[in-house]
Amino acid sequence: MSVNAETEAADPQSADGREDIDAPPPGQSFGGYLLRKVGGALISLLMVVLLGFFAFRILPGDPVQKIARERQMSPEQMELLRAEYGLDKPLVVQFWDYLVGIFTGNLGTSYVYREPVSQLIAEYAWPTLLLTGSAAILAIGLGLWMGQLAAWKRGSLFDKLTTSTSLVFWSVPTFWLALLLLMIFAGRLQWLPTGGMVSPGVESGSLEHVVDVAKHLILPVITMTAVVYAQYLMVMRASLLGEMSADYLTTARAKGLREDDVRLKHAVPNALLPTVTLVFMHIGGLITGAVTVETVFSWPGLGKLTYEAISGPDLPLLQGTFVVFSSAIIIMNLLADLIYRQLDPRVRRA
Amino acid sequence: MLSHTLRRCAAGTMALALTALTATSLTAPASASTEQASADESTMRIATSGQVDNFNPFTSIYLTPTAINRYVYENLVQYDSTDFGPTEGLAESWETSDDGKEWTYTIREGMKWSDNEPITADDVVYTYTQMMEDPAMGAANGSLVQNFDTVEATDEHTVAITLKEPQAPNPGVEIPIVPEHIWSEKDDPAGDDNDTEVVGSGPYTLESYEANQSITLKANPNFWRGAPKVDTIQYAYYTNSDAQVQALRAGDVDFVTGLSPEQLKALEGADNVETNIGESRRFTALGINSGAETPEGEAYGTGAEALKDLKVRQALRLGIDMDTLREQVMQDYATEATSFVPESFEKWHLPKSDRIVSSDPEAAKKLLDEAGWTEGSDGIREKDGEKLSLRLLTDAQEPTEQTIGEFLTPWMKDIGVDLKVESSDSDTISDRTTAGDYDMYITGWSVTPDPEFQLSINTCASRPDAEGNGPTSQDGYCSETFDELYAKQHTELDESKRVEYVHQALQQHYDDVAQITLWYPNQLEAFRSDRFTGFTTQPTDGGVIGNQSGYWGFLSAEPAAEADAGDGGGGLSPIAWVGIGIAVLAGAIGVPLALRRRKSDDRA
Repeated sequence: MSVNAETEAADPQSADGREDIDAPPPGQSFGGYLLRKVGGALISLLMVVLLGFFAFRILPGDPVQKIARERQMSPEQMELLRAEYGLDKPLVVQFWDYLVGIFTGNLGTSYVYREPVSQLIAEYAWPTLLLTGSAAILAIGLGLWMGQLAAWKRGSLFDKLTTSTSLVFWSVPTFWLALLLLMIFAGRLQWLPTGGMVSPGVESGSLEHVVDVAKHLILPVITMTAVVYAQYLMVMRASLLGEMSADYLTTARAKGLREDDVRLKHAVPNALLPTVTLVFMHIGGLITGAVTVETVFSWPGLGKLTYEAISGPDLPLLQGTFVVFSSAIIIMNLLADLIYRQLDPRVRRA
Repeated sequence: MLSHTLRRCAAGTMALALTALTATSLTAPASASTEQASADESTMRIATSGQVDNFNPFTSIYLTPTAINRYVYENLVQYDSTDFGPTEGLAESWETSDDGKEWTYTIREGMKWSDNEPITADDVVYTYTQMMEDPAMGAANGSLVQNFDTVEATDEHTVAITLKEPQAPNPGVEIPIVPEHIWSEKDDPAGDDNDTEVVGSGPYTLESYEANQSITLKANPNFWRGAPKVDTIQYAYYTNSDAQVQALRAGDVDFVTGLSPEQLKALEGADNVETNIGESRRFTALGINSGAETPEGEAYGTGAEALKDLKVRQALRLGIDMDTLREQVMQDYATEATSFVPESFEKWHLPKSDRIVSSDPEAAKKLLDEAGWTEGSDGIREKDGEKLSLRLLTDAQEPTEQTIGEFLTPWMKDIGVDLKVESSDSDTISDRTTAGDYDMYITGWSVTPDPEFQLSINTCASRPDAEGNGPTSQDGYCSETFDELYAKQHTELDESKRVEYVHQALQQHYDDVAQITLWYPNQLEAFRSDRFTGFTTQPTDGGVIGNQSGYWGFLSAEPAAEADAGDGGGGLSPIAWVGIGIAVLAGAIGVPLALRRRKSDDRA
C-alpha cells in the first residue's frame, strides 16, 4: 500500500512523463480509448476493494489481543471486544458486511475512535490537504520554473547548481531532513513551533489562528517541497531541451522576438505537456499525505491517522484509508490519461 | 557574467528565501502564548504520543486515557506514593472481616464532585453495580469486580462489599468511581466518550480533548486533598520522540517521559532541563517455552524438547552474563532483576539471596553434561543425535532486542548451545508465541502494585488453549507448588505472612526457570526545571513521575519560583545555529560548486 507521496513520484532521472502514458494505438476512436481506460480503472478499483479487506487480515496479529496486551483482561472482556468489533463473525460474513458497506458509502467504524471511518477521513483530510497542497504548489512552481531556466541555459553554472541542488534534496532521506530542520529552527533557534498544527488555546477563526497555523506549516512544507521539487525540475528540463532545437523557435527568433519571449511564449508551453501526468499523479497522492513528514512534525493528518491505524491494528480504519487513497490515485491517473490525450493533439492523431 | 548567474541563482531560490523571511518575520517566540498565560495562570505542557480510545472509565482500555482518568476520578482506595501501599482515596478507612469476604469502607464526609454535588456511598455502589451487572460497562475493568458478590451502601458514608471468595488484595483499588447523578442520566453510558463536560473527583478534570492535538485538564478546586498548584495540564501530541526532545529544549513542552538512553544523555547538559531516572513497574525477560500445554494437559506448539529439562533451562541462565548484558544493552538504565516483580515494589520483590544465581558458564556446562548433552565436534552439544539448537524470536523494530540477540549468541555458543536468532515483527512474534511456536522470545510486562494479577497469570489455570483463547498466561508456567502458594497469598490477610508466601511463590518460579528475568528497565524522563518543580516520584525513593499508579506525579508540582527565561551560557550561540541552518538549507549549493571542473560557459 502506498501512502507516501514521496515514494509515489516518478524517478526524476528517467523522467519523461510521456513514458507513463499508454499511447493509444493509431486510429483508435476516442470512445474505444475511453472505454479501455475507464474499464481498466474499474478493474483496479475492484482489486483495491478486495485487497483492502484481505490484505490486512492475512497479516499476523489479533487486534483484540494486541489492544488487551499487558492489561488485566478476563476472557469474557476479550470476547466482548471481539463481538463489538464484529470479529466474532465468520470471515465470509465480515467480508459481506464490508462489501455492502463500501457500496453504500459506509466504511465501517474505527475500533479506536469509535467514529465512522468516512467521517474520520473527511476530518483528517483537511490538515493533510493544507500541508500537501501547499507543498505541491511550491514544488510544482519552483520545479517547473527552475527546470525551464536550467534547460534554457543548459551547461551553465546556474544549470549545474539548480540541478544538483535539487537532486541532493531529492536524495536526502525525508526523515533526516525533517528532523534536522526541526532541531535547528524549532529546537535551537526557537523561531518556529516544534510540532502540531495549531498551538493549544488559540481561538479558532481568528487572525492569530491563521498566523499560528502558518507558522506550524513552514517547516513541514519546506521539507516536503525540498524532497520532491526535483522531479518537476528534471522533467521540465528534459522536456524543454527536447524542444530547443525545434524549427518553430528559429522562426520565432527570426521574427525578432526577445529571447525571454521565445522561451516563455513558444518553447515552455509545448514543453509543459509531459509535466501534466506528473502533476496529476501528485494530486492523486496529495490525500495520502506524507506519513514521514506528518509523523516528525506531529501533523494531525491522514498520514498520521494511517500510521496509528497500522499499529492498532484498527482494521476498519486501515481498510477505509487504503480504499480511499488507492481510489484517489487510480482516478487521478485516469484523468491524467484522458486529459493528456485532449491536450496533446499528437497523441490523439498519432 | 558571474553576477548574472548569481542573480538568476538568487531568484531561483526565491521561494525558499521567502519562506525563511516569513519565518523570521513571524518570529515571536513560539511559546509566547503559553508564557502570557503563565503570568496569571500556570499551564504545564506534557508531550504525549499516546492513542486515545475514549475517556469513559468503564470502557477505555488504552494507556493514555487510563493514566489521565487516574487524575480525573478518585478511587475508593489509592496506591500511595511512598511504596505503593493502599492508602486513602474516597474511603478514609476500611475494615476486613476475619474471613476476608466482607470489606467495609467509610467514605470521607464533606467531599464534593467538581460540579459541587456531594460524593456519597451511592456513587460507589452505582459504579460497581454497573460493572457487575452490565458486561459492556465492565469492558475495561470487569475482571476487577469478578469476585464481587454484592455491593451495598449501608448508610450515606459506608459501603459494604461482599466477595464470593475471600481475598487479601484490597478490592477498592484501581476502579475510578463516577458520579451517579451524571452517569445515570446518560442514555448509553457504555458508548459515551466522556470527553466533554466531565465531572470528576480527582485533582484535575478533563476540560477538552482535540484528537491527535491536545488534551486539557483543569485543576479541580474540590479535590479532597486540596486543589493542585498547577492550574492547567495540557497534553500536546508529538508523534515522534525526537521531536518531543526538541519541544522540551524549545520550551514548547515542560515534561517528557519514555526517553531513550541517547535522548536522556543529550538532555542531561541542556539548560533549564532536569532529568529523572526512575525505577519503573516493568520487567524485561527471556520467555522460555518449557513445553506449552493447555489446562487439560494437551501439549501444543513446536518448543524444543530440551527446554522441558530443568537442568537445560538452569544452564541457559548460568550462561548469561546479566551484568554485562544490562550495562551494554540498557547502558545501565535498568535495575538488576531477580523474578518478575520489579524492585520498585520493594515489599513484594523477591530479594536477592544465595538462591539467586549469577553468571557461571562452567556450572552451566556441568549441568548440560549432567542432562546428557555432550559436546559434539563443532562445539555444539548433542543428545541422541540431536543438536542443542534453540530459536530466539526478536522484534526487528526493537534495537534492544537485536542487541540482546547479538550478546547471547556467543555466550550460548560458549556453553555449547546453538542459538538461532529469528527476527520478525511484533505481530508475528505474538502469533507464534500464542501458538507455542518458539523456544525463547523477549517479553515484558508492567506489573500492578499488588502482585495478585501477575501471580495469577502464572498459575496452571491461567493457561489459554492452543488457539490462544481463554485466559492469559505469562510464560505458560504450571506448578502445583506455585499454585498452592498463590492460593495461600490470595487469602492471607496478615500482610507480613502474605509477603512471605509471595516471596516463596516467586522463588519457586525462579527455581523452575519458567522465564529468565533480565532486568527492570528504568523510565527516563525530563522536565523544565525553570518552569516547574516539586514533582513526586512513585515510589518516592527513585521512582517515576509519569505513568504512575496514582496521581502523585503532577499533584504536588508547582511553578518554579523564579522563572529564568535567559538562554544562559553553554552550547552554541543562536548565531551559530542560524549559520548551521543556512548551511543546511543552502549547503547543497556548495557541493556542485566544488564539483564544478571548468568555468561556466554561461550562454545567456
